[in-house]
Order: sequence, then structure tokens, then C-alpha cells
Amino acid sequence: MSTYILMKILESAPSRYDLGIRLLTLGRLGKAYDRLTSLVKKGDRVLDLGSGTGALALRAAQKGAKVKGIDINPRMLETAQARVKAANLAQNIEFVEMGVVELDKEEAESFEVVMSGLCFSELTEDELRFTLKELRRILKPGGLLLIADEARPRTILKSLIISPLRMFLRIFVFILTQTTTRALKNLPEQVRTAGFDIVSSKLNRSETFLELVARKPGGREK
Amino acid sequence: MRFLGYAVANVFETLLRLLPFPCRTGLIKIGKPQKDSPVFLTCNYHLTVQRVKRALKGMDAYLLIANSRGINVWCAAAGGHLTNHEVISVLKTSGIEGLVGHRQVILPQLAATGVELKIIKEKTGWRIIWGPVYAKDIPVFMQNKMKAGRMEREVKFPFIQRLEVAISWAFSLSLLAGIIAAIFFPRVFVPLILFIWGLSLATFIFYPLYGSWLSSGKGSLTFSLLVWGVILLALVLYSHLSSGISWRFLIRWGIISFVFVFITTLDLKGGSPLLAGGFEELKVTIDEDKCRGAAFCETVCPRNCYDVNRKKHKAILPRAERCVLCGACIIQCPFDALYFKNPEGEVILPGTMRKYKQNLLGKRVMKTGNNR
Repeated sequence: MSTYILMKILESAPSRYDLGIRLLTLGRLGKAYDRLTSLVKKGDRVLDLGSGTGALALRAAQKGAKVKGIDINPRMLETAQARVKAANLAQNIEFVEMGVVELDKEEAESFEVVMSGLCFSELTEDELRFTLKELRRILKPGGLLLIADEARPRTILKSLIISPLRMFLRIFVFILTQTTTRALKNLPEQVRTAGFDIVSSKLNRSETFLELVARKPGGREK
Repeated sequence: MRFLGYAVANVFETLLRLLPFPCRTGLIKIGKPQKDSPVFLTCNYHLTVQRVKRALKGMDAYLLIANSRGINVWCAAAGGHLTNHEVISVLKTSGIEGLVGHRQVILPQLAATGVELKIIKEKTGWRIIWGPVYAKDIPVFMQNKMKAGRMEREVKFPFIQRLEVAISWAFSLSLLAGIIAAIFFPRVFVPLILFIWGLSLATFIFYPLYGSWLSSGKGSLTFSLLVWGVILLALVLYSHLSSGISWRFLIRWGIISFVFVFITTLDLKGGSPLLAGGFEELKVTIDEDKCRGAAFCETVCPRNCYDVNRKKHKAILPRAERCVLCGACIIQCPFDALYFKNPEGEVILPGTMRKYKQNLLGKRVMKTGNNR
């Protein structure tokens, strides 16, 4: 049985989650989210995968989109709900406790945009394959897939420098939040294989953070 | 060669038991499974997977590994890391649905604190069968036509497990304390490490001698003070016998032993699978009107607290004092007939338990009490 002390730490995890993730991504996350959500238009139907504390959902709703946020952690959803209420955007955002594997219940071609911040790196290989397939189905033709996530450096030298540093950060963040992420390998390739066109794929200099914009072929071309 | 790998994994992951060891999730084939072969599901704590694979040796079966973030079944289920979502995910994405003709999946019984039979059936069509607590009992379970007997449904704390817990505690503690001691107090390094190991081993090996005393409602604090008192006495005796009482020696080791006795023993109840840790004031309560004697509680209780009166169709709790407050019975009851209650009469309802698990059984949840 998990011990009392451990439970106490877990209990307070979501409130520390934002802090932990900020440390893990060294502060670049907010800017990446701003850049990605600048592609969201007023009136768009937007799906937020792994909405967490609602960082992406809030930004999209502020641009006038109708957002559906899904997450499997009920405490995260509660935190997000409280933030949305405080920002007076409750009528534009709906949060549901739901995993990505239940996306097959969503209607085909029902979203203009799907976005995801630090969610793909928490998925198993099987889940990732399943999710990309379903996203291709539920996005409207020409719809956008926006991803901000951890990446694994492709250059061996950078990988050698980054690995120990990341290990240290991960242990620290795990102690703090019991959260960890598994950096993604070849996500752009996997997205392309799933039938998307890559609009832009941007790695930071240390190749540890990926911003990806992909489009489902067809529909309105810009 | 394979046995060597198994042994190394056992030693290494026992020493570092306090850390998660995730392994690959998804589908594993055991032997030559067919369309009607049984399907087992477990967590992705590496050592657990190794032990389950060993228990399944010689069978033809499918083994699904759900993403519990590298944490063992009971802790992950109680802490919200092995929930409906992880089970639904591996059932839907591993490809198992195309491989077998049936829809029956065997889960370890301890997952019942986190995974809801009803929801899995509704969302996937798969029927959960609760397997034994320990992987080593899987062969017996299969011989009994997939029924776990009373023995296989109960959590135990045998010598070998107590030794594992003692070693994992001692190793982590001596690693942390050892680094600090090596830098700042190199002279106490060796006796300190010996003290930590001696204390951990003694605490858990002698558990049967004081376990029943602890469970009789005595606080852990009293116990910790008692242990510390004994050690102080031994220290005084030692310094008296050796070279007369040295106050510096007594104070130094008095403080050191105080710190480590409290770290090791204060959460003994939470650390042992046989005692309720933390929220002892809670009691599982049966709502007589709602209970229909369906015996879900009896099946999932890892402490065999329940009996079911088959004539009256009512569950009873003749061994309530054994309860560890895992909440499995509350979560699984199809009629919401069970709930937690504290001496002030506040309650934690099944819905709250299902949503937050043990993870969040804190004050925050208690505030919602009394709304039954």
C-alpha cells in the first residue's frame, strides 16, 4: 500500500504540476503555446488532447474558439475548470474526463483544430498510433494538428550532453510532481505516415522541444 | 542465462523498490496462444511483469501490460495510475480484440481499488475476472476454473516480503544518509550504515511479534517512542560497559537514532500491507437497505473481511478489524451500498472514491461529507 507520506505528496500534485512542467521545459512552453494558438480562428471547433491545467484550452477560447478539452486526470480537470471559470470563459470550453483511446466515439470531421501540449509524450506507442489514426478521421479536411512536446535530440553529440541533464531534471520533477514525460522520437515522421501534411516543424537549438503544425489534406487551402 | 537476468532484476529492483521501473506496454504472447486462450492483464512495473511471465510459463496465453507508469499494481490502482483509462487503452490499442474470440480479461485482484468492472464492461464489452493477489498463484487459479480461493485472495506479509521491504528501506535510507555522512561526518559513516540496516531488518523481521499490538489501535507514535527508548537504553548500557558514560556519544547517537527510528517506524502501518495507514478513523459501513448480497465486496476484499449471508442476501463484516481501507469493496459495489464513515458521522461516498481513489482521501474530500 502506498504510504501516507507518498499519498500526501500525490494529493498536492496537480497544484505543483504547472511548476514542475515549467521547470522540465525550462520556461519555453508558454511562448510555444502562444505561437501555436495564433493559428486558431474565431468560431473554430477545437479539441485539446490532455488538457491538463487548461493552458492551451484557455488560449484558444480567448481567441473565440469552441474548445473541448479531454484529460484522464480528474484533479487536473478540476483545476482547469476553476481557471476557466475565473477567466469567464466557461461557455466556450467543455472539459471531459476521457482518454485518447475513446476518440473513436467522436464524430468524423467534427473539428477544425486539434491541439496537444505535452500529451503525446505521455502516450504509449500503441496509443500514439491509435490517436493519430483517429485524429485524421475527426479533423475536417484542411484541419490543423498543433503539437508542442518534448523531443529526443537527433544529433549524437547533443544527445550525449542532454541525456544526463534530462535525467537529473526528471528525477527532480518526479519527486516534486510524480509526473514525467518520455521524450518523443520521430514524431513528425509518424504524423506524416498517419496521412498529414507537415506545415512546419520546429526544434529548439538543443533539439529537446518540438513545435509541430500539420494539416489534414483537402478542404480550404490557405 | 534467463534465470540470471531474472535474479539480477529481482536484486536491483528490490534495492530500489521505492522508485518506479517502467517497462514496455502492450501485448506479450506466452507460449502459442490461440483464439480461445486466456487473456491476463497487469501493470508495467518491470519486476511484476517478470514475475507474472514466470508464473505463466508453460501456458498458452496473452499478457497485456497496461501503462501504470512503472508502479506496482496495488499502489498504482490506489494512487490513480492504474485506472479504467489505462485498462481501456490497452484493451483497445494492443490488438488483442482481433486475436481472441472471447471477451474475458483476468486482472490481479488488487487492481480493484482503481479499475471498475462495470465501466470496463460498458465501454469495451470486456468482462473482468479478478485473479489472485500474487502471480505465483495463477496456476492454482487456472486449475480451479478461474476461481480464486480464499487463500489466493488475501494479502499476506510473509518473511520474504518483509525482508524485501526492510532491504529497500535500508538501502534507500543508507544511500541518502551515507552521502551526507561521507561529506560532513566521515567518522560516523560505518556505524551509521550498520545502524540503519540493523534497525530496518529488525523492525520488519520482528513484525509478527508486535503487529497485532499495532493493529489494536495503538498509535505508531507510541511504538516509535518505545523503539527509541529501547535503543537509548542500549546506548547507555553500552557506554557504561565500555568506558564510562560519555555525554557527547550519547547525545550524538541519541539524535541519530531518533531521526532514523522515526523515519523507519512512523509509517509502519502504511508500509505494511496488513494495517491501515493514515486514515484509521474511517470505517467501511454497509447500507443495509441497498445491499443485495451480490458478494462483489467479498470477492475483491484483500483481507477477507466479508461474509455473505446467502439466505438473507446481505453482506456482513465479521472481520472488520482486519480492514486496510483500500476501498476496493466501495468502488466495486454495484448498488453503492458501501461507504466510508468517520466517528463524527461524515461520509465519503462511492462516487468520490471512484473518482479520486485513495490518492485523494484527504481532508478536502471529507468536507463533502454528510450529504447522503
